Amino acid sequence: MHRPDFIALAPLLILALSAAAVMLAIALRRNHLSAMGLSLTGLGAALTALPLMARYTPRTVTPLLIMDHFALFYTGLILAATAVVIVLSYDYFSQKDDLPEEAYLLLLLAALGAVILVCARHVAALFLGLEILSVSLYALIAYTRDRNISIEAGIKYLVLAAVSAAFLLFGAALIYAHTGALDFQQLGALLKAEPSGRPALILLAGLGFLVVAVGFKLALTPFHMWTPDIYQGAPAPVTAFVATVSKGAMAALLVRLFTPTDLPHWPALYLFFTAMAAASMAAGNLLALLQTNVKRLLAYSSIAHMGYLLAALLFSGQKAAVVMTFYLTVYVVSILGCFGIIAILSSKERDADTCQDLQGLFFRRPLLTGVFTTMLLSLAGIPLTAGFIGKFYVVSAGVENAHWFLVIILVVFSGVGLFYYLRVIIAMFSPSLDEGLVPSPALPALSAPVVLTLTFLSTLVLWLGVWPSWFLATLEKMLG
Amino acid sequence: MELLWLIPAWPLLGFLILTCLAARLPRIMAGSVGVGSVGAAALTALLMAWDFLKHQPGRNAFTQHLWTWLDVAGLHLEIAFYLDALTLVMIIVITGVGFFIHLYSLGYMAHDQGYTRFFAYMNLFVAAMLVLVLADNLPLLYLGWEGVGLCSYLLIGFWYTDPANGYAARKAFVVTRVGDTAMAVGLFVLYNQLGTLQIQEVMQRAAAAWPAGSTMALLTALLLLGGAVGKSAQLPLQTWLPDAMAGPTPVSALIHAATMVTAGVYLIARTHGLFLLAPTALTITAVIGAATLLLAGFSALVQQDIKRVLAYSTISQLGYMFLALGVGAWSAAIFHLFTHAFFKALLFLGAGAVIHALGGEQDMSRMGGLKQKLPLTFWTFLAGAASLAALPLVTAGFYSKDLIIWQAFASPRGGLGFWFMAVAGALLTALYTFRMVLLTFTGPARTPVHHPPGLVMRLPLLVLAFLSLTAGFLETPHSLGHMRVFSGWLHTCLPEAGLAAGREAYEILFELLAGLAALCGIFGALRLYHPLAKSRYSLPESLRQYWIKGWGFDSLYDRLVVRPYIHLAQFNKNDFLDLFFVFLAWLAKTGHQTLAATQNGRLRSYAWGLGLGAAAIAAMVVLL
Repeated sequence: MHRPDFIALAPLLILALSAAAVMLAIALRRNHLSAMGLSLTGLGAALTALPLMARYTPRTVTPLLIMDHFALFYTGLILAATAVVIVLSYDYFSQKDDLPEEAYLLLLLAALGAVILVCARHVAALFLGLEILSVSLYALIAYTRDRNISIEAGIKYLVLAAVSAAFLLFGAALIYAHTGALDFQQLGALLKAEPSGRPALILLAGLGFLVVAVGFKLALTPFHMWTPDIYQGAPAPVTAFVATVSKGAMAALLVRLFTPTDLPHWPALYLFFTAMAAASMAAGNLLALLQTNVKRLLAYSSIAHMGYLLAALLFSGQKAAVVMTFYLTVYVVSILGCFGIIAILSSKERDADTCQDLQGLFFRRPLLTGVFTTMLLSLAGIPLTAGFIGKFYVVSAGVENAHWFLVIILVVFSGVGLFYYLRVIIAMFSPSLDEGLVPSPALPALSAPVVLTLTFLSTLVLWLGVWPSWFLATLEKMLG
Repeated sequence: MELLWLIPAWPLLGFLILTCLAARLPRIMAGSVGVGSVGAAALTALLMAWDFLKHQPGRNAFTQHLWTWLDVAGLHLEIAFYLDALTLVMIIVITGVGFFIHLYSLGYMAHDQGYTRFFAYMNLFVAAMLVLVLADNLPLLYLGWEGVGLCSYLLIGFWYTDPANGYAARKAFVVTRVGDTAMAVGLFVLYNQLGTLQIQEVMQRAAAAWPAGSTMALLTALLLLGGAVGKSAQLPLQTWLPDAMAGPTPVSALIHAATMVTAGVYLIARTHGLFLLAPTALTITAVIGAATLLLAGFSALVQQDIKRVLAYSTISQLGYMFLALGVGAWSAAIFHLFTHAFFKALLFLGAGAVIHALGGEQDMSRMGGLKQKLPLTFWTFLAGAASLAALPLVTAGFYSKDLIIWQAFASPRGGLGFWFMAVAGALLTALYTFRMVLLTFTGPARTPVHHPPGLVMRLPLLVLAFLSLTAGFLETPHSLGHMRVFSGWLHTCLPEAGLAAGREAYEILFELLAGLAALCGIFGALRLYHPLAKSRYSLPESLRQYWIKGWGFDSLYDRLVVRPYIHLAQFNKNDFLDLFFVFLAWLAKTGHQTLAATQNGRLRSYAWGLGLGAAAIAAMVVLL
């Protein structure tokens, strides 16, 4: 390890250090504000380090990690999303929990795991990152210990994630048995060298089991069943983290793994990916259709979105990285906004996640409703929001490469999807059911950082929806 | 002249202010914005007129291009205003009469709940009407056309709590839509055939492309005529106007007498080049006008509601204008439009003052004796009535109507038949007008007077009465001074009506006859309806009922169109095309329920899902 290596690793090191610092600070004296402040400072420092170390990239640091533009962008996204989650957590936990400080420690560690995932260039690094992320998440999901539903969600996630990790390890072992390599680049070269048509069964099976683990983490059908229970059970900011950082890191890994490989070259994998994408779009949207719990509804919606994302991978060949990254960024911003609102509205006892909780929100909190509506419309892909542009690029890539089957599925089920987003919006704009009977719950005053964050997120959604060219050009320069 | 755009912009700004601030605006402010915006427009219009006359722009027209509206696949449309003599007459009428009616409304609507809303709609109407007459291309004209239609709808149904008013508003909207649709089709045909919608360009290209009397020219002229007939309440689309009296009286004065209903006349005059290529269409116009003026005249004779008398009278007078257009007497039609705007607005405002004074009473059989109690209203109303009845020499209505009657005979396209109908109409007009005056103002008082009109209501009455008496001196016949100011001016943009050979000689004779007809009508009314009159002739009851109902057009349309349509709609209440969509919804719902059953919350079945997915991928690997 040389000095440039350390500089290139700066974000990871800063994250790890700030996690340790938060832990020590808690040991010395419990203070919610300082724990949050420390974590935010750590994230801020890591974020500032990114442009400074850009000069040293791309750089392979140890055989395990690579710091290239791709890793840089996703690290930035993860750090920013984590910062938003931490801001939301402060208000959320300060009224609910007597011991909120460790949540920040866990969030920082989970973010570290996610960053390792997006920098991984070796199956070992992949596993390492995945486990750091997952183990932190088990605790985070069950963090509201007084809620049975959270404990249940934590256990479910623990068991299923363990099974999927087993698949990952098994798949990696099979691949190693056949090729003797676990390095992505080496693997890629070996895979290219394989005779087309019928590659070795053992290698294919290994890749397939790897896909099972990825599919589980992304909640692609048929590995999606855990999502609604975990989304519903976890505290709202943690749900936001699971939906954005955890899935985003895994999606980035998917891009890194499969964009260099010529997927149509491998009919079995290609077919399975197509089936997964189509099934996710269909199942996600259909399951959300009549759902009245907004957290579950967003879980199903995220299944559909991961389906769109996978479709983008199949559509766009060389451009996949740009299209998928754009889509993923938009998705992260919109989902953060949605869960941010839910976190704000939640009370000490339970999260405000049913349609009844939102009924008539417009008349109590017009601005919050406006933000939520913007985010939902963005998820639905309505023009003037970023979601539309993202979906537009996916569809246009599909049309360009004549992937009619997936394009039709995407369009049809996007149409179905509009129904449930609008249902939530309608609920917010309808008069309250209990108008005058029961005094509506007093809503907590919004703190300045939360207002700032929500403003930032909604501005971003509208800005990317109206004027996406700058961001697209930047992405193309970085990843193209 | 660069300030032309300001004319429609003023009232539009007024509308925006009134709408955006609405309830926050104190009453006094709302009133001043509403009246002031139209006043500013009127001043700007006068300035334009001054400038126009002083500088006489090239080709007698001035075009102001503001910006490109749309430019797609060869269709280039601009927001552009076109000012020539015809437009100038229209904008002066709209803003001038409009201003006085707005001023009057300050008093008339003073105690109404929807004060601000009223002025907002009225301002929007004036803006739309100005866009209509200033438009340089047909789609922009159509925008104004639909804009005034919308405002008419909003204002007829202004007192929306009474369902009858809402019904009247809908009726007016739907019936005029029939004409509007014809007009829209006309625009499509014009664009399809000529490749442009710019009005002057259309007329030039049409003249170059189509020989006179060609089918295409006839078709487009008839389609435009359809639009004009709907807007101007001519046969067979006249049924909406009497019901439109449900709106506040200033609305009837502004929209349903002075301005909007004359849009059809304006449209035909504006596209006269097209109509000249289709002589048959012109003949049809004349026949429609002549028939309408008589039919409406008979209906006006028997109405009991003072506003309905005026409504039928408006239809009848618009019939005169159509007759004039049809015989090619373009400037005579516009001249009658000009004087009619003054005296009919005056009559409506006078009727409004009476209705206001009597606390909402509109039935003439419950009026009477108001001559002493409302002297100013009486004298001004009398001036308007004399003008409407075309009392010879001293009224504006005489000069304009007389011109039409004469040209109905003397123009090359005219004839004795048209002349006879026009004179019969003049007799009827005088008869029903003075019946109305006598029933309202003479005889025993039947309803006590509550609110005599205030200053803001009296001033417009005086000004309009003055204009109703004097505006006619702008244009007098050969035998009476031979003033040609108005037609001389209009002939810069409208062709002159020639005289058929050998008919000049009869001018004095025919004028005398026409004047006599009006005097006979007035005399007849005095004999029949004056309280001191001995004989009281009454029509057979069945005929009277028939005329009251406007010749039974309503029930005819009800049987022919409305009821079959309702039957059809009820028959297909559960639209069979919907079945497909219902099926789709069912499919989605079933899919949801099937899948939702798998989300049972049990860990073991989730693990199963994971296992099955892995098995599926393994199977694919082995099999493919």
